[in-house]
Amino acid sequence: MFCTSNRPEERRFVRACWMSAALVTPLVLGAAAAFRFYHLHGIAAYIVAVLPTIPILWVLVELGRFLAVEKDEFQRNILIQCVLGGTGGTLATTTIWGYLEDFAHAPHLDLIWVYPIFWLFVVVSYPVVRMRYR
Amino acid sequence: MTDCIKNPAGDHMEDRILFIGMPLLVANIAMAIWGIGYRHLHAAGAYLPAILFALMGVAFIVIFGLYLKEEQDEFQRDLWVQALLWGIGATLTIITFWGSLVEFELAKGLKLLFVFPLFMLITCIARLVLRLRYR
Repeated sequence: MFCTSNRPEERRFVRACWMSAALVTPLVLGAAAAFRFYHLHGIAAYIVAVLPTIPILWVLVELGRFLAVEKDEFQRNILIQCVLGGTGGTLATTTIWGYLEDFAHAPHLDLIWVYPIFWLFVVVSYPVVRMRYR
Repeated sequence: MTDCIKNPAGDHMEDRILFIGMPLLVANIAMAIWGIGYRHLHAAGAYLPAILFALMGVAFIVIFGLYLKEEQDEFQRDLWVQALLWGIGATLTIITFWGSLVEFELAKGLKLLFVFPLFMLITCIARLVLRLRYR
């Protein structure tokens, strides 16, 4: 989305996204291996389990920071609308799927999928929001 | 009346909640009371009550989206947007942490249905805190 930008705020946000994506895979594999081979218990197990989520949440923090420092109001407004689109889409999907799980025995959707669903809706919202301002 | 003239977007939202959201809420409550026994429904028969229940949540999302679109007072809209951003950020944080604990069998699974109330709770708290900040 911002790959071609020369602005430092955008570059920092994009860099955080790429670094997070690069960190998640080894951390997930590392955590899975640690549970498999060391049979972790207690506080160590909790720490290792949440470790792969740290880079994921780092992107959220960077997104918040980016929205706070972004000087171009138009660009910020577009991003906010995309995030709100993502929020609405995510809440609608989880609510509908939740009730389908309860009543229609739909397959269980793990909580870990809520975050990718949110970004999927943000990305889908982006061209829609941009089209409105053409 | 004066408030309605001052803030037509807020007035429209109240009307939509009153005439769309509330009837759906009442229908939900009635179905929940009646529906204790309809978990035995299968296939297509079970999808209808599930979708009807979910409609209320979706309706509130749409009503709020329309409010944000219509709100002319930039300060009020900005307050809500900030609260919503805090709400989604904190909700995703909690859900991702919890989901990871569930994946490694360290916590019990949380139903997807609770994502929406959790988001609403955090957004309302954020809104209160933001209002206090701007007093």
